[in-house]
Amino acid sequence: MREPDSLEAFLRMVGEELDLTVGDGDADRDLADLPGWDSMNLLRLVTLLEADSGRRLPVRAVLEARSLAEIHSVLERQA
Amino acid sequence: MTDPGNSTLGPPVGRPIQVVARGEVWDRVRADLAAYGTVVVHAKLADLEPDLPTGEELRALLGRDWSRYMDLAHPDVRHRYAASRVLLKLAAGAVLNGDPNALELAYGPTGRPYLRGCDQVDISLSHTEDLLLVGITTRGLIGVDAERADRPMYQRGLGRHVCTPYELVTLAAQPEEERNPALVRLWTLKEAYSKAIGQGMQFSFTEFGFGPDGRPVRAQRPDGSTGTGDEWGFHTFALDSGYCISVAVYDAGFGTIGDMDMTTMLDQDCVEAIEGALRKGDGEVRA
Repeated sequence: MREPDSLEAFLRMVGEELDLTVGDGDADRDLADLPGWDSMNLLRLVTLLEADSGRRLPVRAVLEARSLAEIHSVLERQA
Repeated sequence: MTDPGNSTLGPPVGRPIQVVARGEVWDRVRADLAAYGTVVVHAKLADLEPDLPTGEELRALLGRDWSRYMDLAHPDVRHRYAASRVLLKLAAGAVLNGDPNALELAYGPTGRPYLRGCDQVDISLSHTEDLLLVGITTRGLIGVDAERADRPMYQRGLGRHVCTPYELVTLAAQPEEERNPALVRLWTLKEAYSKAIGQGMQFSFTEFGFGPDGRPVRAQRPDGSTGTGDEWGFHTFALDSGYCISVAVYDAGFGTIGDMDMTTMLDQDCVEAIEGALRKGDGEVRA
């Protein structure tokens, strides 16, 4: 898995790696309104991204994100 | 999995009761609450379908949750949101001997749900895939959580975000095929405990832990030393449907309550304030 640069690539990665149905329209959707999404998915995503980049991510900031677009912003700030 | 019988420490919990469509389980639910001070019910989403109201009836049942319900765009998410609240209100209405529509579900600052005006009862909700779960206690605090027992969780790097050092060592010492179900059990216990104390995932899961299955369960510090006493009960159940359910109950000393009628469950301060206002109002009218 390669760390995604664009938001579109990030959404595609989330769908593939976590086996969720995620489209472009889901970027700003509240995570509570995303079918199949839960906190375990969030930690699995963090773990996958950490394994890929070799860096540790700020889990608290990721936990506070309310949408996939916000999670992507956190990742971009870390890049 | 510690089931049945479960951990012998802290407040006891009976085996979760399955609710089916038009099912007559409410006597059992009331009996469990009277016996243990806690009851846990679960339902399959599909089984609850015939009991789900629609239109104005659903609006009345959801009360203030109606606007949140309408904000949910995805039909599946919406449906499950409504179903979990219907299950909660049916169960709470049954134990409080009242009209489910009269119960108002409210949320604390951290999103923790409670029944407004019924302070002697604490509640917790959980759902995963097609399972809905509700816990009700008169003892103090409750948190419930459910996951599929075979959900893949044990993967390289994940444990660092979920487990204490002691748990990581304990998990690694187990046979490989037991590690994933053991981690699912730990995860649901942690979710249940953090829901009970109203913290959610803001309370780092690596700061507290639980021992291995098969012994009395206490919350532990990161090094594995004991963190909670007999006031907390932690229980895990395996359902035939393949789900792992954990329940955390805090006994604040309220025990079990004999009179569960909704009208006597109103917060006493609230009742006195209303009665005082009514008396005052009555006097003013007469003056």
